Amino acid sequence: MIHDSLIRERLVTGGKTASDVTRDIARPILNKPSTSWKVGFTLSVIFLGIFVLSLFWTLWTGIGTWNINKSVMWGWDITNFVFWVGIGHAGTLISAILLLFRQKWRMSINRSAEAMTIFAVICAAMFPVFHMGRVWVGYWALPLPNAFGSLWVNFNSPLLWDVFAISTYFSVSLLFWYIGLIPDIATIRDKVKTKAAQYWYRFFSMGWTGSTRTWARYELISLILAGLSTPLVLSVHTIVSTDFATSVIPGWHTTIFPPYFVAGAIFSGFGMVATLLVVARKVMNYENYITIGHLEAMCKIIMLTGTLVGIAYLTEFFIAQYSGVEYEQYAFLNRASGPYWWAYWSMMFCNLVSPQVFWFKWARTTPWFIFIMSIVVNVGMWFERFVIIVTSLHRDYLPSSWVMYAGSLTEIGLFLGTFGIFFTCFFLFAKFLPVINMSEIKTILRNRE
Amino acid sequence: MGIIDKNLSLRDRNKMLLGIWEDEDKLVEATSELVHAGVKIQDVYTPYPVHGLDRIMGVRRSWLSIVAFLCGMTGFSLAFWMIYYMYVQDWPIDVGNKPVRFSPSWVPVLFEATVLCTAFGMAFFFFFRNRMIWGIKPELLDERQTDDRMVIAVETGEGVDEKKVLKIMKDHGAVELREKTGGVQTTI
Repeated sequence: MIHDSLIRERLVTGGKTASDVTRDIARPILNKPSTSWKVGFTLSVIFLGIFVLSLFWTLWTGIGTWNINKSVMWGWDITNFVFWVGIGHAGTLISAILLLFRQKWRMSINRSAEAMTIFAVICAAMFPVFHMGRVWVGYWALPLPNAFGSLWVNFNSPLLWDVFAISTYFSVSLLFWYIGLIPDIATIRDKVKTKAAQYWYRFFSMGWTGSTRTWARYELISLILAGLSTPLVLSVHTIVSTDFATSVIPGWHTTIFPPYFVAGAIFSGFGMVATLLVVARKVMNYENYITIGHLEAMCKIIMLTGTLVGIAYLTEFFIAQYSGVEYEQYAFLNRASGPYWWAYWSMMFCNLVSPQVFWFKWARTTPWFIFIMSIVVNVGMWFERFVIIVTSLHRDYLPSSWVMYAGSLTEIGLFLGTFGIFFTCFFLFAKFLPVINMSEIKTILRNRE
Repeated sequence: MGIIDKNLSLRDRNKMLLGIWEDEDKLVEATSELVHAGVKIQDVYTPYPVHGLDRIMGVRRSWLSIVAFLCGMTGFSLAFWMIYYMYVQDWPIDVGNKPVRFSPSWVPVLFEATVLCTAFGMAFFFFFRNRMIWGIKPELLDERQTDDRMVIAVETGEGVDEKKVLKIMKDHGAVELREKTGGVQTTI
């Protein structure tokens, strides 16, 4: 006999029943869009417009519209690439790793975090793709038979590993997300009234009826996909970090990069999840599903990973000193006290110092404060990538090639524009698909041991 | 054994008895009682996964994990063959006169290809086996079976004691009992 737990705090509050869950979560889909949705969507589309304009300018005139130069050949573009890829990682962490650890609190937030992963990877891909310059021959990065007089792709290059890693990560995440959505699409299918909506939800629900035979296989495939996604997500950011770590640039050439990047990715990803969900739970009235308990759990992870990243910063510094290599030592001293000192100390403050407020329960349980902190985390993580890339490149071995670098208007436009892509996708997702996994939430209503 | 699970189609089932539940625990009890009484359950439809129900019904463990392994091995082999052909056979690159052969730098691409093939191979198998394809019409027995109601479907015919089935369903908390003949449902 199974009993309801008397001690454990409820993951869904408000005494919801299965039909309440369907009604609450399907509400934004079945009703006309709210004013807040319209305002948010319009703003996002404006930012999307900025992206389109900046991209058009980049393609029309060339990469010369960016301020990158012969020394700082990676600037805002690769900073933004790593920033967005990192954000994506929290989605997979929540849905896959927390599933393997049987953390049931993930069930209210996994759907939106996975959506975030997919949109963030789309934003990330924009940067390396358009940094190629002649983007129309971008398919040269794929291992295709050579008809152009060039060689096959170079399997020793981390940039090629990136092509494989990011495309695999994107497609597997999309598959995982879609399979998870099927039962919920079926629920919506049986609720919508208009002909067009019925057609499309029926189309994508693939004939789902909720048969026990299907559920048994569904549970198994979810588990295996989670098992696959876990090493996949670790591999993706490890490979992103090897873009730097396999080079001979002081400040990049370190073995700590893979774990340090992965921790940073989880940190920034949770920052973004917190930004989105603190707002979404309020605007969409999901406070009973995404409770203060959920926010608190996320804050604890932010604090842990922020501290891990902080330890990595300090370790890097120590190792540079300990290595006795003059160039390494200079690179790190230059980060902290050179012309980009402000970026370095912003990073240190945002990523190492500020998350320590989450030791206090008040900080972990006050939504508006968590929202502010989540923005601070995202700013900090953007600076981290800027510091790693720009401060390591702007002064190389040869003092005659030392330069300063600041993003051009086009680069800034592209970066702001990716927020347009991200939020446009997210608003469309919130309008047409259930933001919370209904079929999973229904299994935890009873608070079973 | 065909790949598509024949049990999932309801089109050929002429006559069925349906019990509707709103409580998960009672549904599990009823299913187990029906199985003990020797009744062959066609299927149980639930809006969310009810753990243990498949075992009570005697659904065999899926082949998915084996398929996943085979797809993974295929992906790995194809990727290995691809890199070997491009990098060793077709156009070996001489870097510092080092021998051209397998090196750890192949691992990332091998790993990603393995994961990609495993995930998609397994997903296609999952869709085929479950008779799932884009646009197919769902065979629903109750319009709320994807919302909050659960349905036990029992196929009747020779050797099935309908009265016994209905009694077990009623005694274990069915909120509604129905009979389905052809495409028409009637409440009992």
